[in-house]
Amino acid sequence: MKVTVYIGTGGVGKTSVAAATALAQARAGIKSMVLTTDPALRLRTALRLNGGLLEQQVPLDPPSPAELWAGLLDVKATLDEAVRLYGAPKLVDRILNHPIYATIANSLAGMQELMAVERIDQLRKRGFDNLVVDTAPSRHALEFLDKPVFFANLAASHWVKLVGRSYKFVSRTGLGALGRKTVDLYARVESILGANLVRQVLDFYSIFVSIAEGYAERAEKTVALLKDPAVTEFRVVTTPQKAMRDARYFTDAMEARNFPIGALLINRAWQPVPGPESADGLAGRLVDWYSAVREAQYGEIERVRREYGGRVRRIAALPELDRDVDGLEALERIAENLALDRAAQS
Amino acid sequence: MRPQSRIIIFCGKGGVGKTTLSLALGLFHAAAGRKVVVVSSHPLPELAVAVSLEGLAEQYPAAAQNLYVVHLNSKELLAELVRNNFPVQWVARAVLESEIYNNLVEVAPGLKEFYFLARLQQLAERHAAAGEYPDYDLLLWDAPATGHFLGTLRSARAFETYLTGPLAAAGAELARFFSNAANIVLLPTTTLEEMAMQETVEMCRALDHDFQLKPARVLLNLVSPVVDAPEEEVERLARQSEESSDPALRFAVDRGLMERQRAIEMRLDLGVQTVAVERARHWSSDLELLAQIGRGLAGIPVSA
Repeated sequence: MKVTVYIGTGGVGKTSVAAATALAQARAGIKSMVLTTDPALRLRTALRLNGGLLEQQVPLDPPSPAELWAGLLDVKATLDEAVRLYGAPKLVDRILNHPIYATIANSLAGMQELMAVERIDQLRKRGFDNLVVDTAPSRHALEFLDKPVFFANLAASHWVKLVGRSYKFVSRTGLGALGRKTVDLYARVESILGANLVRQVLDFYSIFVSIAEGYAERAEKTVALLKDPAVTEFRVVTTPQKAMRDARYFTDAMEARNFPIGALLINRAWQPVPGPESADGLAGRLVDWYSAVREAQYGEIERVRREYGGRVRRIAALPELDRDVDGLEALERIAENLALDRAAQS
Repeated sequence: MRPQSRIIIFCGKGGVGKTTLSLALGLFHAAAGRKVVVVSSHPLPELAVAVSLEGLAEQYPAAAQNLYVVHLNSKELLAELVRNNFPVQWVARAVLESEIYNNLVEVAPGLKEFYFLARLQQLAERHAAAGEYPDYDLLLWDAPATGHFLGTLRSARAFETYLTGPLAAAGAELARFFSNAANIVLLPTTTLEEMAMQETVEMCRALDHDFQLKPARVLLNLVSPVVDAPEEEVERLARQSEESSDPALRFAVDRGLMERQRAIEMRLDLGVQTVAVERARHWSSDLELLAQIGRGLAGIPVSA
């Protein structure tokens, strides 16, 4: 099993770089799947992920020696599938129609990462053992590692098991069945969060608990797998402007988790252009501006190489493409640039 | 006592520069003697903020006295609520350290977002505990990326609709507050890349449809000098580029013209004025860059 996880802040081109990585692997003869959250329309079209398809083999021209697949990391759909796969048949509909279920599936912070782990597990069982994962934007980038553990703890918690299983009983007979200390705490928490909210959550857990338990077990295994640096490589995507800041943040954050960063890819670096003939007016201002920005970018890239070269295995600058990333052609070019850089390093 | 303040909201796709522009606007007004509070709600920019404001006290002593960056941590807000409700210290600690509390807070959908909004409203209405925050002139919210931002605003309504009792009532009040144009100055921020623009237009439609909020201005970040140039200069530029064989010029011009076209489409599409923020050419430090950008934002209307 080999998993490449791309992390980074929003707007840096993470999805394209992730898709291009999977494409490069397929071209190199390794069957590969890119899992992405919310690709832009044109990329979605290029990957044939329109029409509500969860995953799809991407037709390539010329064909690659190994298959390229693209999958949407759809939280609701993944959770639905988990409920159908692991829920007791008579509970499936009750769970899927519970008001808390919809809210949990759609709004729970970090659900994306929980479901990414679930999905990786589902795919692994179906024989996809080379995955490239494009994580949700920055705010939860690292929760990919942290959150599933939390959820696993939650589902394993004696309290949730107890309350979850005994909720119906408790709602009939009162909280006396839970033991004095638990009741005290429960009452206090309820007075803070509101009885309705707490009871809704509990009611939901009372039917969701079997799935949560199953999830916890699978999540623990998958997370253990993901935490093995031999299996998973984390790569940071950034842009020249953000490179110093992101390098500092992500190296610190990943080192704190004892996880090396496999690569720092500085995307969208403006390319040098042959010296312009002197132009006046707006043309002159524009060309001056373009060259000044480009120079500033290269200054930043050099700084990152100097200051972080020792802490990150590989630092590469990927050139900005002529137009906005468009379709498979753009992915092919990013894939080439990734391969070129790799060749230059070895 | 001062009247309630409007909340100036920087919202938009991740990575378009909301944090940078909110700090730049804050720095500009703080340097002009206004007391400014910038509320940040997402973890990553904490570092960005620290890096960006390095050297503030030495280089802009006047602004340093007036600029406050506040990170409203919602988990901490809830902890405070617990402490206020249980004045006996060990009881509060027992609750805060309990598995029940921590698990519920983490999984209760929208709860953290809800308390964040409630706190922001308190701050705007100046009900926050006296002395806790400065008596400010401007309140800026550096909002999280679109999805989470809309989710945060919707948490109020979700509480109103799927619950009953005191939390629902609080949710209804919050939903009203954040649907009242008199309380909000919306500054959607975008770059002129296709994805960011599309997301911005969709976000503006959702804000209008769900909350009856319209943007005060749309901020176009990281643009070229072509976006705001006078029409005759642009026509001349296009002719020059067609006649020229210089690839550098043609590349820069094509890009600049495409961005300009997109800016025009966005203005027409949303019926809103835009403010172009040129991508900076030189800067000696992040702080100096903020000051540069801030001067360009001077024309943005910030009060009622």
